Amino acid sequence: MLMLAKLTAKRYWLTFSVLLFSFAVFGQRSLTGKVTGSDNQPVFGATVSVKGTNIATTTANDGTFTLNVPGNRNALVITYVGYETTEVSIAGKNSIDVGLKLQTSNLNEVIVTGYTAQRKKEITGSVSVVSVKDMKSIPAGTAEQMLQGQASGVTILTSGNPGDNSNVFIRGVTSLGGSSPLIVVDGVPSAPNDLSLLHDLSANDIESVQVIKDAQAAIYGARGSAGVILITTKKGKSGRAVITYDAFYGEQTVPKGNVWHKANSQQMADLYWLAAKNSGQVILDTTTTGQPCPGCVASAQYGTGLTPRLPDYLVAGESSGVLANDPSVDFSKYNVDYSKGDIYQIVPANKEGTDWFHAMFKRAPIQSHTLTASGGSDKSNYLFSVNYFNQRGILMNTGLKRYSSRMNTTFNIKNNVRVGENLYVFYKENPRITNNVEGNEVNTTAWMQPIIPLYDINGGFAGNRGKELGNSSSPLASRARAANDKGYTWAIQGNAWMEVDLFKHLTLRTSFGGNIDNYAGFWHGYHTYENAENNTNNSFNEYAGHRSNWTWTNTAQYSNTFAKKHGVKLLVGVESADFNQREVGGQKLGYFSDDPNYLNLSNGSATGQSNYSFFNKKTLYSLLARIDYAYADKFFLGLNGRQDKSSVFSEATRTGNFGSVSAGWQISQETFMKGIAWLNSLKLRASYGVLGSISNTTGLNSFTTYGAGIGSTYYGIGGVVNGVSQGFAYTTYGNLSTKWESDVISNVGIDATILQNKLDFSIEYYVKKINGLLFQDQAPGVVGGATQPNVNTGDIKNTGVDFSVAYKGKITKDLSFTLGGNITAYKNTVVKIPGTAGFFVDAFTHNTGPQVRNQAGHPVGSFYGYHIIGIYQSADDVAKSPTETDAAPGRFKYEDTNKDGEITVDDRQFFGNPNPKFTYGINLSFTYKQFDFATTLYGTSGNKVFNYTRYFQDFYPQFQNSKSGALLTESWTPSNLNAKYPIVENASYFSTNGVINDFYMENGSFLRCKQMQIGYNVPSGLLKPINIDRARIYVQAANLFTITKYTGLDPELTTNASSTSSASSFGIDYGNYPPARTFSVGVNVAF
Amino acid sequence: MKRIKKYKNILVMATLIVFAAACTKSFLNITPPGSLDGPTLATKAGVEGLLIGAYSLLDGVGSNVGGADGPWATAGSNWVYGSVAGGDAHKGSDPGDQNLITPIETWQVNPSNDYLEQVWLVRYDGVQRANEAIRIMRLATDLLPADTVQVTAEAKFLRGHYHFELRKLFGKVPYVDENITYSAGNFLIPNDHDILTDIEADFMYAYNNLPETQTEIGRANKWAAACYLMKTYIFEGKFSDALNLFTTQILPNGKTSSGAKYELNAHFADNFNPGTRNTKESVFAAQMTVNDGASGGNSNQGDGLNFPYGGQTGCCGFFQPSFSLVNSFKVDANGLPFLDGSYNNVNLKSDQGASSNDPYTPDTTTPLDPRLDWTAGRRGIPFLDWGPMAGASWVRNQASAGPYEPVKNMFYASQKNVLTDASGWTAGFTANNVNIIRYADVLLWAAEAEIQAGSLVNAQALINQVRARNVDPTGWVQASPANYKIGLYTAPFASKDAALTALYFERKLELAMEGHRAFDLSRWGIGKQELDPFYAHEVASGYVLDVGATYTTGKNEFLPIPQAEIDKSSKAGTSVLTQNPNY
Repeated sequence: MLMLAKLTAKRYWLTFSVLLFSFAVFGQRSLTGKVTGSDNQPVFGATVSVKGTNIATTTANDGTFTLNVPGNRNALVITYVGYETTEVSIAGKNSIDVGLKLQTSNLNEVIVTGYTAQRKKEITGSVSVVSVKDMKSIPAGTAEQMLQGQASGVTILTSGNPGDNSNVFIRGVTSLGGSSPLIVVDGVPSAPNDLSLLHDLSANDIESVQVIKDAQAAIYGARGSAGVILITTKKGKSGRAVITYDAFYGEQTVPKGNVWHKANSQQMADLYWLAAKNSGQVILDTTTTGQPCPGCVASAQYGTGLTPRLPDYLVAGESSGVLANDPSVDFSKYNVDYSKGDIYQIVPANKEGTDWFHAMFKRAPIQSHTLTASGGSDKSNYLFSVNYFNQRGILMNTGLKRYSSRMNTTFNIKNNVRVGENLYVFYKENPRITNNVEGNEVNTTAWMQPIIPLYDINGGFAGNRGKELGNSSSPLASRARAANDKGYTWAIQGNAWMEVDLFKHLTLRTSFGGNIDNYAGFWHGYHTYENAENNTNNSFNEYAGHRSNWTWTNTAQYSNTFAKKHGVKLLVGVESADFNQREVGGQKLGYFSDDPNYLNLSNGSATGQSNYSFFNKKTLYSLLARIDYAYADKFFLGLNGRQDKSSVFSEATRTGNFGSVSAGWQISQETFMKGIAWLNSLKLRASYGVLGSISNTTGLNSFTTYGAGIGSTYYGIGGVVNGVSQGFAYTTYGNLSTKWESDVISNVGIDATILQNKLDFSIEYYVKKINGLLFQDQAPGVVGGATQPNVNTGDIKNTGVDFSVAYKGKITKDLSFTLGGNITAYKNTVVKIPGTAGFFVDAFTHNTGPQVRNQAGHPVGSFYGYHIIGIYQSADDVAKSPTETDAAPGRFKYEDTNKDGEITVDDRQFFGNPNPKFTYGINLSFTYKQFDFATTLYGTSGNKVFNYTRYFQDFYPQFQNSKSGALLTESWTPSNLNAKYPIVENASYFSTNGVINDFYMENGSFLRCKQMQIGYNVPSGLLKPINIDRARIYVQAANLFTITKYTGLDPELTTNASSTSSASSFGIDYGNYPPARTFSVGVNVAF
Repeated sequence: MKRIKKYKNILVMATLIVFAAACTKSFLNITPPGSLDGPTLATKAGVEGLLIGAYSLLDGVGSNVGGADGPWATAGSNWVYGSVAGGDAHKGSDPGDQNLITPIETWQVNPSNDYLEQVWLVRYDGVQRANEAIRIMRLATDLLPADTVQVTAEAKFLRGHYHFELRKLFGKVPYVDENITYSAGNFLIPNDHDILTDIEADFMYAYNNLPETQTEIGRANKWAAACYLMKTYIFEGKFSDALNLFTTQILPNGKTSSGAKYELNAHFADNFNPGTRNTKESVFAAQMTVNDGASGGNSNQGDGLNFPYGGQTGCCGFFQPSFSLVNSFKVDANGLPFLDGSYNNVNLKSDQGASSNDPYTPDTTTPLDPRLDWTAGRRGIPFLDWGPMAGASWVRNQASAGPYEPVKNMFYASQKNVLTDASGWTAGFTANNVNIIRYADVLLWAAEAEIQAGSLVNAQALINQVRARNVDPTGWVQASPANYKIGLYTAPFASKDAALTALYFERKLELAMEGHRAFDLSRWGIGKQELDPFYAHEVASGYVLDVGATYTTGKNEFLPIPQAEIDKSSKAGTSVLTQNPNY
């Protein structure tokens, strides 16, 4: 087979190269003309191009144009916004007048599909066309955030953490690893499971965004199964130079109130007593006996006796919880500098309570400025843009600052040769927290006890130094110290390309492109003094690395129409891609000074220094082909095929063949449909194909490898205190039989335009079966500790419906509106996880184990554990119920699902599905004279959220951190039987929070107003004198409101960023950076 | 020529395209970066390195797997599974911190407890690293037959050790020899028999083939293998084999890898001092290194939480000796322990409930075994060279874990940053070796074997040998206000049972806090008898986490097999692993 494929490839290239040498040259002529609109007024700025070439110009104020037309060309294409694209014959003419018709349908809109482009009416697959205008109205730092709610079938999960990665799923989670779609910018595909090409795009550079959701993505073979997002950036248009300036400035605001429902200082003390009492300690006034009382409640902060008392100082030197007159409160002993001796910190108690959340989250500005210059002639065009984006995060010392520049040019060298390039360069700094992980600075605003002040008596940081103050480090200290850390990226993305037209119908194209991301940074570890457990050493860490990926694509496209009815387009191509990463870093400790200006890797001490580096590489080689056939604009047929070979698999399994077939029937073109007045267009289409995925597999998958690590394989065999001998161990187990994941996608859809082109809608049903899911093997521990390879472990099935609708209406002559909406509904089921266990656990927390179990018959990411059927009300209740470990009054009573009278691991059940029943987006806009109004809403429905923050908030024993105030009044006590919370105790138990149960589960549905804006177009009469073509100003509110029942900060939750979770676990709240409500003003100006 | 020039760009393009298609295979064949393959290591030096890699897991840390709960879950010292689960100590610290330990301490542990899974993974990684040395050795061509024997013997010693650890923790577990590999797919091994037989064979091979001394002191030698073989016999109840091995071989010939004849150190405390490692009493130890570029990764990280809280000592305040353990060191007028359990009638005076600022004088009259203050830190008693233990300010949460602090794994103030790692977030990453077998342990096995053989007199002599070194006051905590007293057993043991009672108690005192107690209780079948009264006493003393604790005979001799492993070992829906009884 291999030999055959190679031979075929060789023969094909032979033909290809012969073709390249044989073509002819033609002469030129000059053509003039005038373009008018529906009311016979001249049209200014229309694009006039010679069909089949890149030769184009724009019309002048009076609608006239002049063009040099190659002798062999005899048709012009005229395009102008709001008018139908018009094609006219110029055979034998030297001047021509063209009248444009107002556009009533978008069927002739040209849509970029894989490696080629099609008119909308020819599309047979499932392609969502994103409204770039609506998308750009979202003020966000990353392009993927702007896509939320803009296209049916596309689910985006994002957070308020500036510049952070979002989760992008097309038609649901389709992998237990990464499910990110392939990003293709100007024909250059990204590395598998890498959103970075989209992530850092400047929104104003985007011309169009299309999303391929179905089997048509087979043209991208092994990278297509999670869908493809195709982005085309703006090009210059022929005509005079146009300069535009787009900018906005806004203020991001912070949620108000006691967002974590925290207890105040006195309530925390009262909870201490309540827990002591419930845990069997004696509440006794010991001052009367004067004897030590071993079983009595005694708090280092709140004293002992019948009631707690708040201390005046949390810590003073070695003493905790002291009163003002205590001798240890000696301000002269204060010291937080290790070089001056032992730490002696004095921290006053904040009896009113510190609002940690609002100490960390503050109003912050966001702004963006883009200047674009573009223009061109019939020989060349150019677009140059610069953008400055700066979002300060509402959380202290987070933000995204990016400077970017784009230069896209095209040159027509000969009439049949075009070369061009797209180049994007940016620099960014993006200090941010690790979002949605336990213990991050969002989480610790909840954990910090209210009695801890922000600062000690001398302005030093206050923390949990002293007793009974929890294990949370001060978010203020950690973010303030992070101010001196820096991480930055500068990157180049883009491609250079060349197209050659051969004969009449053949176009050859080559494109070489990719991206080089250079990232570097440094961070400090400071001496800390404010914690119970401190860094007693300082450190400095520096790292630098780069990712460099290139893709070289060569295609030949033949298109022709036979007998005026049979349109044929044939595309063949070859593509090779190479993905590399390399990084180096080092650390030193024991710096004499903490001064950031002093710290570099040379100045540190010899003890404890360490360094590392790593690199990796993957390659991909592919052959591709595509045939589009159209019969009389009525029947359409598309065939895609691709063969991919990837270095991540062994030689025996590395070749994968993928393909799809799709068909469309434009029913409204049939004569029997012509009479129906309200029906403008109706199309039925279907597609079926096989795609693949490698997004989740490393280049080591087929290799058994060995490695060394000082901490992991070296050993002090000689018995010397600081001398180790070199040792080795296996690092990966290879699997030679792992092969491509094969994803079978079927799709049927109806597109219709009705009611005099006012209403467009599209509805689709799909089935997506992922077979031989690539995921890490789960062999038992007896195999040893090497990393197990990815194997083809199971099957997942998604079925769903995508629906989108757009309505254009006019209420009065001046007042018109558009209403667009889309709904994505899918049902996700794990069909099979063969392996040995039959399931795969995920979202691991060390306190309680995995929260998620992926198992056949259940949706991916399902929450799994014990179901609480109530709270034990009495000892009698315990005795009558099935045997349960640690069962006691006030604790959870779990369901005995198998009715064996005993609560065991077998009684765990699936209790929640984080996948929404549906997500939806709504775009509504009005135009009234010079004014416009637009709003975007986004929502999810039916998804469950696992609110893990409640593990710390609602259960007393968790580290003595801050607790929910409601525990005091709404927890179970013998006198409060119908309680919302279990009994407050000092220890965790199986029957409280020792295991995963559904206490944490909440409804995660929400509806969010992503943005709402009112704009005003300055009348051109006012602008002409100052030489401005058009100007618009607007005011906007983003994230204006969110309707939800969720009790945490925000129900929209990205995947846990820690290594203990994979992409298949989501909808778990570990501490999520909330999105900010932003109010801004903006301008769009064109000169 | 002219024509070609004209179309130069096209020619270039075509050439490049053809070139691109030509070298596909080399383009796609990538050598895995940053790693070695098996054949590269198949040399004498490579195999030696793999053996070092197998040794390196003796500390329980550094595996690619099993780190999810931190090194404490997998510590080579077994402080959780041996000492905390056996009543030597409480978990310590705050109740919520590392709360997976609490159900292990109270024997309410369920199979999903993740600590179990993590320790399982790391110990089997140790087994397989040892096996890998044997497997790759068989591919190598530059080893002499003698080298092959030595590598095999060391590898079998190590896999014997790791298997022994698994057997102690989980009872019936799969035995994994060098033929079991991931790639062979033969890893679904039932836990259908007691693997002590297999372990015995491995140690026997090691004993028969290892040299008496080694150039490197950390390497297992013939006598380490002999002692481990003896331990295996003891666990198998083969007391006569154990005794025979001891009296005929270990006693006359046993020596350390550096050639020092096995003897007890003059001072008990020298066994627990990172400044006096690899003594003549150290039969086999996990070697710990610091400041070696691993940021503490080769230090005694698994015990990293087990230091007094606050101050300069380190971190975390875990592993606090229990009231009952401290009381056990009370002695009578003859300096002998209270074998009838009466030591617990009244708690030894402590500062429980008192602040560090409150005045406090420790007990100065009650006679105490001098080993106590090398085992448990008490208020007012010199704590190594840190000055008198300060009481509550050194304890994270006295109300929940008592007033005592661990000493044996502690480092001296003068050793900080020299014998502790200077690069970590805590000074508690020390160079304190973990004693896997020390000679006192061997002597007490011998005593046990003598008792089982009926020679109570010999047993008494061996027990007294262990006690005798503590008579010398230079081996006591200096400048201590405590009233130390220790005597030898002089009256003959009244019966085999009385002798066993004395032996059991001696092991409790001598090896306290060293990770052995729970395994001894399991082996002796006295878990319930010892631990249920223990829990009651601790609760009465104010330790509330033991409320509801109870030991179930026929169940708690072993921890449950980790649920995750049972799940992962399924074949056609049925697991090849059987859960331990009553879990």
